[in-house]
Amino acid sequence: MTTAVGQSVSRKDGIGKATGATKYADDLHFPGMLFGRTIRSTIPCGRVKSIRMDFDTSGFTIVDYRDIPHRNVVALIDEDQPYLVETEVRHMAEAIVLLAHEDREKLLGANVVIEYEEAEPVFDPERSPHSFKDITIEKGDVEDALASAEIVVEGTYRTGHQEHVYIETNGVIAVPEHGGIALYGSLQCPFYAYKALRSVLGNDHPLRVIQTETGGGFGGKEEYPSMIAGHAALLAVKSGRPVKIIYDRVEDMVATTKRHPSIVRHRTGLTREGRLVAMDVDVILDGGAYSTLSAVVLSRGCIHAAGPYRCDNVKIFGRAMFTNTPPNGAFRGFGAPQTEFAMEVHMERIAEQLGMDSLTLREMNALRPGDMTATSQVLKQDASALECLQEAVRRTDYRRKREELKGTNRGIGLALFYHGAGFTGAGEQRLASKARLDLTATGARIMVASTEIGQGTRTMHAQIVSDALGVPYETIEVAQPDTSVVADSGPTVASRTCMVVGKILERCALEMKERLEGMTPAQYHAKHGAFSIVKEHIQPEWMRWDDDNYQGDAYATYAWGCDVAEVEIDRDTYEVRPVKVTAVQEFGRPIHPALAMGQIEGGTVQGLGYALLEHVVMKNGAMANPTLTNYTIPTTLDTPELDIVMLENHYDGGPFGAKGLGELPMDGPAPAVVNAIRHLGLDLRDIPAIPETLIACASL
Amino acid sequence: MERFQYTRARTIPEAIGIGAQATTAQQGAPVRFLAGGTTLVDLMKLNVEHPTRLVDINHLALNAIEHMPDGGLRIGALVRNAALAHDATVMKDYRVLSEALLSGASAQLRNVATTGGNLLQRTRCMYFRNTAMACNKREPGSGCSAIAGDNRSLAILGTSPQCIATNPSDMNVALAALDATVQVQGSKGERTIPFRDFHLLPGDTPHRETVLEPGDLVTHVTLAAPRAGATSRYLKLRDRASYEFALASAAVIVEVSGGRFGNVSIAMGGIGTKPWRMTAAEQALAGAPVDEATIVRAAKLALADAKPQSENGFKVELAQRCLAHALRLATGMAAS
Amino acid sequence: MHDPDAPDHDDAPSGLTRRNFLTRAGAAGIAGVAASIPLAAALAEGVPEATDAAPDIPGTVPIALRVNGATLRMRIDPRATLLDTLRESVHLTGTKKGCDHGQCGACTVHVNGERVNSCLRLALMHEGDDITTIEGIGSPDALHPMQAAFVAHDGYQCGYCTSGQIMSAVALMKEPCGPRDSDVKELMSGNICRCGAYPNIVAAIQDVRGNSPMRQG
Repeated sequence: MTTAVGQSVSRKDGIGKATGATKYADDLHFPGMLFGRTIRSTIPCGRVKSIRMDFDTSGFTIVDYRDIPHRNVVALIDEDQPYLVETEVRHMAEAIVLLAHEDREKLLGANVVIEYEEAEPVFDPERSPHSFKDITIEKGDVEDALASAEIVVEGTYRTGHQEHVYIETNGVIAVPEHGGIALYGSLQCPFYAYKALRSVLGNDHPLRVIQTETGGGFGGKEEYPSMIAGHAALLAVKSGRPVKIIYDRVEDMVATTKRHPSIVRHRTGLTREGRLVAMDVDVILDGGAYSTLSAVVLSRGCIHAAGPYRCDNVKIFGRAMFTNTPPNGAFRGFGAPQTEFAMEVHMERIAEQLGMDSLTLREMNALRPGDMTATSQVLKQDASALECLQEAVRRTDYRRKREELKGTNRGIGLALFYHGAGFTGAGEQRLASKARLDLTATGARIMVASTEIGQGTRTMHAQIVSDALGVPYETIEVAQPDTSVVADSGPTVASRTCMVVGKILERCALEMKERLEGMTPAQYHAKHGAFSIVKEHIQPEWMRWDDDNYQGDAYATYAWGCDVAEVEIDRDTYEVRPVKVTAVQEFGRPIHPALAMGQIEGGTVQGLGYALLEHVVMKNGAMANPTLTNYTIPTTLDTPELDIVMLENHYDGGPFGAKGLGELPMDGPAPAVVNAIRHLGLDLRDIPAIPETLIACASL
Repeated sequence: MERFQYTRARTIPEAIGIGAQATTAQQGAPVRFLAGGTTLVDLMKLNVEHPTRLVDINHLALNAIEHMPDGGLRIGALVRNAALAHDATVMKDYRVLSEALLSGASAQLRNVATTGGNLLQRTRCMYFRNTAMACNKREPGSGCSAIAGDNRSLAILGTSPQCIATNPSDMNVALAALDATVQVQGSKGERTIPFRDFHLLPGDTPHRETVLEPGDLVTHVTLAAPRAGATSRYLKLRDRASYEFALASAAVIVEVSGGRFGNVSIAMGGIGTKPWRMTAAEQALAGAPVDEATIVRAAKLALADAKPQSENGFKVELAQRCLAHALRLATGMAAS
Repeated sequence: MHDPDAPDHDDAPSGLTRRNFLTRAGAAGIAGVAASIPLAAALAEGVPEATDAAPDIPGTVPIALRVNGATLRMRIDPRATLLDTLRESVHLTGTKKGCDHGQCGACTVHVNGERVNSCLRLALMHEGDDITTIEGIGSPDALHPMQAAFVAHDGYQCGYCTSGQIMSAVALMKEPCGPRDSDVKELMSGNICRCGAYPNIVAAIQDVRGNSPMRQG
């Protein structure tokens, strides 16, 4: 029996946020603190010839690459990105020099003159000579199957950059302490920042990373904080004083990561009845100037590229290409929104060419328990594509509406999608995340590095521990992530914080309960004192993954969804407004229904922005519209009625049956909206669907 | 932001006296009147404006909306956009103005932005706002980065080889259609400027945006008595539903009798370097039958001189559609 | 004993409060967060502020601001916005900086009961005005009905836009606004929430409006 799990208990962070009492990075102040500023490249490609400080440098701390005590590399996957340019500039807004001063006006007034030798940049990923990563997923014989297919449908689909626009910009404070550095920051992954600081500062000094309350991440504070943390630490080490760096909005938009733009080509073979027999998919992601996370974004994108459909012959070939633009990185969905967009718009076009109803096409081909995915993973009983589709169709009266709305100014469209939870393949095994639970005098304290970034980590973890331990939710405390005291529960990414970390915490709580021998925490504590339980992630023993051939069990489980979008077009003015989105999503079981609902609503709103509004204009390798006036994201008035349905299909490997949820809602809205616009007669294959794109479609 | 001396003006002559010490009242003016601050403080933070003296005029007695003997309305320069939009007379008799004001910015901004400030609202051109880029408006002779840059939101009417920046105001579009007049007090006394003469085309001097001279203080905007039987509407097209500048907007005031257009006033926003009065379209409509063909013809005519930039060609069609639809709304051919 | 957290309230010529002093004039060496104590503890105790009577810093001007009912005297750089002054000189950090250019609404506060973007106002303009911040409308023990509704309806996620949303919502109660959700949405569109908590925010506001306890002055 559960008393906390499944209930929308009072959130741990509510009162602080509603009263303004909660402290974020920029709200903290340390004695003697300096402010830091980053001097960045103003060319997309070339070499630095000279650097001159054209200001009175007294009172300034100035850092360039020669001040780096250890390695000038942001430790991530390929380790190709420097903290500070030595000579080679690969993109606009690349960090070259760091300044710190106690007076911000003086700091902003400092003029650093940099001379460059410019080289020819590459901006078009299709013409780039260099790929960071190639991935091939192959099952069956695609060419053979295409040759013998009764019908072949081809198509190319494009998605643009997307900027995170967390309302709190990137910000950190590096504080000298005990001969080392304490780094306070707005970030998702304290141990990523810790590893990165070790790389730049070396192993000789004590280090710790403390996550401050974080005003939104959405993936944008997964890897980038490692960069700004290193910068602040370098300035703090050189000056011996605390250094705060808070990006302004323009800097954050120009210099930090975005969602990878994509070009996805499909060549699909079918029988006349509509059965998929061959899927040939080519995925190109624009990686930007350094590899950062592109390889793994590509990996997730490719694995999801065939959509939630069964097909015996699949070939997916993906490349993440180098361009002279700021590196693209993690953004909610991590490659899947791009490839699932292409797949779902393609399915609609397939149905048109077959002259059949796209629902029937999807129903016929949707993955069912026992079916094999593109990576030959055999799905277990918790695969819910059909259930999501059927519930969405029933709830929206889709078939009738689709007929009724024909020829009107309203269109209705649908997308079926899925999202693997946790790290890909053997990733979770390699991570070997740990969680710790401490007994306290009143209950228990959760000691993990998983961060609260608005999605409800603290509340949801406390609910799981509360029920597993059998103590009231209110008696569970959650420690602020500080790498010097919490267990490394891995990064707060990949929809893993509930399913993976929550599960380890559940096991900690169950063992703690055994140790208590029927006593309450207070009784036990009074008698024997405190103790801690530490547990490590256990990879399900059935999981097999071949990383060389991209075959096997890509994820322990998948969450499933079907979105139905109704849009209205003003044919006189080409204004397209979403009217209603119905989102039917299955993610095991909601631990906290209100929080889960918020994740689905929020992801849906971001997806609507991705589809209809959010247009990053790149000029000479830099975002040319880096303000909230020129890069528009949805306001509350752009948010239509949202009808959210949470289907349950428990996953045995998750805490209380839960799977991962955070990213799933991002996958569906864009294709659902574009398919609704297609229903209005506009052959749209690219997003964002801004007026000029729609006008171009209409005049075809 | 650069340092400045701050003065809170107690009287209009005091403000004018300080203003008159400046060499220019245009871009880069060393003395600036500070009202709502939504444009000026913003541009000072960007170092686009760097006055050495700020004269806070918020405490001058210029915040009344007065009914004039001729049936018109005299609006004090410090009347806030929210107050003006919600004024009962404006809502009833000058609907186009109320709609235009409410379509602009956000509730917070409308609470502080003033009538005079909105009149002088500066362009949102990204290159004007970024001191690292060339901009003839900000720095005469430096060039125009926008022509080869991201010019999606910029002008297609009234441009010059030196500048393609759009006037971003919604209020100005309504005032242009309403044939408002601007009352100014300066060191040489008071004068009244017809709205269409108030803003300047960029030409070779894009840094000169209005006819204001040092010391000139906009005190009032005056509206003539409402035209009996006229219907007015403001239609604004943009990417998102609210809190965004126009891609194209239209203010229309139409009189209809016996199935034919009478007097028609049209101004458009989001597409011109100044609030753009559509005289040719107005003439084409006057006396013509109220039907789809007339409206579409007028809308095409309105944009006949449009010169699209590299990335805003779509605005020609969008603006035509915007005007046509505004006319449909005003004539009841379409429901809003 | 003098409350180290509060700026001077008396009428005597006052000094800069510490953060303002530090930010604007570059003083160092004043007590702050003890870096070795855990953050959670430091946060719970708040950031201690110094009581130093600061000298007359060149380039600063004296100002008296009435914030949340208290008149505060301090010296500020005339360039300081109301937002920066509230956050750094008055030490009320509940008001957030999301864009610093009037494009997001995170910095919304009330001036004489009306909502404004504090990032686009110079503090000097507001001598004599009544300024209210999120800290002034309620406290953890005595939430304002709008704060309570935001908590009850989960009208927030990451929390960074929340104080601006709540301040906007409280001001909206006294503005002309129709009864429909779309009326509320139009008037709340100046407050951007990237987490997309919009449906819950609208629900919270409509809840408070329905109960209509907010019409008092």
